[in-house]
Amino acid sequence: MQSLPTPPKVTAVEVVAAQPTEADSAALAHLSALTNRSLPQEVYVVKVELKSKPPVTSMAWALYVNDVLIPKYWEYKDGIYFVVLDPEFFAEHKGKRLRFSQNGVDFHDTGIKLAAPTKTAAASKSKRKAKDKQARLPTQAEVLK
Amino acid sequence: MANLKNPALPGDVEFDTFIYGAPPLAYPASLSQYAIYNTPDAGFSTGRINVSAFANLGFATPWPFTNTNVPLNGHVCVPRGRGPFPLAVFAHGNHSPLENSTPGYLYLCRLLASHGIIAATIDVNFLNGSNFGENDGRAIVHLEHLKQFRTWNNTAAHVLHSKVDLNRILIVGHSRGGEAVGHASFFNRLASIGAVLLDGSAGLGPYRFGLSAVAAIAPTDRQFTPISGPTVVPDSYFIIHGSQDADVFTFEGYHTYERAHAVDQANPTVADGEFKAMLWVHKANHNQFNSIWASESAPGAAMPRASQEEVAKIHLGSLAQAVLLDRVEYFDVLRDHRAAEAWEPAGVDLVSQYQDGERVFIQHNQEGIAAPVVSLPVQGIVAADSVVATRQLTALTGGAVTTTITLRLAWTALGGRLLLRVDPSTLPAERYETLALRVGQSTEAANPAARDQDFTVEVSSGSRTAAFAASALHRLIYPDLPPFGPAKIVMQTLRLPVERLVERGVDPADLRSVALVFDRRAAGTIYVGDLQCSN
Repeated sequence: MQSLPTPPKVTAVEVVAAQPTEADSAALAHLSALTNRSLPQEVYVVKVELKSKPPVTSMAWALYVNDVLIPKYWEYKDGIYFVVLDPEFFAEHKGKRLRFSQNGVDFHDTGIKLAAPTKTAAASKSKRKAKDKQARLPTQAEVLK
Repeated sequence: MANLKNPALPGDVEFDTFIYGAPPLAYPASLSQYAIYNTPDAGFSTGRINVSAFANLGFATPWPFTNTNVPLNGHVCVPRGRGPFPLAVFAHGNHSPLENSTPGYLYLCRLLASHGIIAATIDVNFLNGSNFGENDGRAIVHLEHLKQFRTWNNTAAHVLHSKVDLNRILIVGHSRGGEAVGHASFFNRLASIGAVLLDGSAGLGPYRFGLSAVAAIAPTDRQFTPISGPTVVPDSYFIIHGSQDADVFTFEGYHTYERAHAVDQANPTVADGEFKAMLWVHKANHNQFNSIWASESAPGAAMPRASQEEVAKIHLGSLAQAVLLDRVEYFDVLRDHRAAEAWEPAGVDLVSQYQDGERVFIQHNQEGIAAPVVSLPVQGIVAADSVVATRQLTALTGGAVTTTITLRLAWTALGGRLLLRVDPSTLPAERYETLALRVGQSTEAANPAARDQDFTVEVSSGSRTAAFAASALHRLIYPDLPPFGPAKIVMQTLRLPVERLVERGVDPADLRSVALVFDRRAAGTIYVGDLQCSN
């Protein structure tokens, strides 16, 4: 008998506002039209720092914020990250636990909670300031360095 | 079966193998395994595609491109001759991107090409890594390769001009690539995915290929879920998975299989004309379906690599013969793996399921978890005597939550019986060739280890009853213990030909009851998926 795979260990989580990619901008426009809401032209990169990365296998450790599945995540040098388009996500899920599961039935609590984004352009009161801040937002590549 | 040739043996068609790729490409030294795509064969230069709406590239690999311009790289075996030839395209799954997974299916491509099929294996390595949810991207890459073949087919003076039969296409994926072919089958019919247009205006699509079948080798399931819900494969579907899979160890594809071509309870007599078939291979593992990937199994746990490749060649070969070359006699192998018994490596145990495109359910068990019933539009009653009959949402293969209900039958003494009494005027059994029952045994205590389970199937019309040992229809083998996690309950389709009923005096136009009689083993626990009249 081999032993069951064990979930990755999370050491920290950080949320950083960043410039949307071209694909993100299209997705933001689509989401905005679907929800009939104006969304800021920024995205939020959630960096989940891991002690060691999940193995490159086909089975995967799906990442959840409490019961909400994060549909896609990617790898960066210190762990994995996912991108959030809608700031409402943090209003709803900030402070909830990050969990891993391979089957949607058995969950492994990482002991780490979802943080709120650091200061964002959208938080600026004047439109001009917001626009200036957007222009100064880091790219996602810079955030992930 | 005497007329069937072993489809794993090479055919007599000569073929050439070409490398295709999207220059200018210059893979760095650390990715030297990909350097073959830097200089594609003459005429086999391709374009780039933008997959950034679906996926990011693996972080740690120095790809010489970004996700907005990934190359269409691959190997294709092209039969010599005028054609047009059917097309089969293979895709790998997640694996270390430092190792090129693409050539791992050349052993299957060469086989198919020798039988007159253009067969390609494609590069999706740039999506490999410690990532999750990118299988929509894999599907798009797969469909874009099909588009590339359509372009070549339509290009005068190209080697493949008018040689590709675009209405006979088989897509095959392994692992995450196996999940992705299901999404590709779904996306193939769409004009857009979210904000992404698939009409060609932004570079992706249009598709709408004539997919003859979709084949998944040890696939994952639901790592990507469309906004409309878990993907239901709309085309004919074949799945092969090994009991010793130590990667996708929960047999995720079982759920894909169950969702495909399931009963529509609002229109239970409507069948979509597409078949599905499953092959569960005892002692096969995950990685050995790819000739490049090192085995993930502990020494001695899995069958030898050569045997596993042979099983793949026999069964994917049969599928290709049946759906791409119109050699319909090879459907016999899909209907029942015993049709290939003489060709299998020694000592290989298999379990298979088959659901025909033409079928009507007598009992599908999906009405709910109340007591079992005969399924509409067939009218009838179910009576259980000395057998505990419980419908339940049991994940037969472990792992993810299932949405498919199965009927658990448990007995502790000889003589128990589950009787389905039906109104013959509501069951046109005479229009079908077979009575098909899906049933499997578990590792629960009532089933002795390593022993086949058995019972009797009794079918009656009026005063005539014919009885058949289940074991005479098929073995119900004991589950193979997996590398970890619970043993899987994989049901075997028992197919009772209607003509054998007729031989015993049972009139299929007047079929009044089907009974499972537990008179061959003193105790047992079995799981029943469904009972159908089928072709």
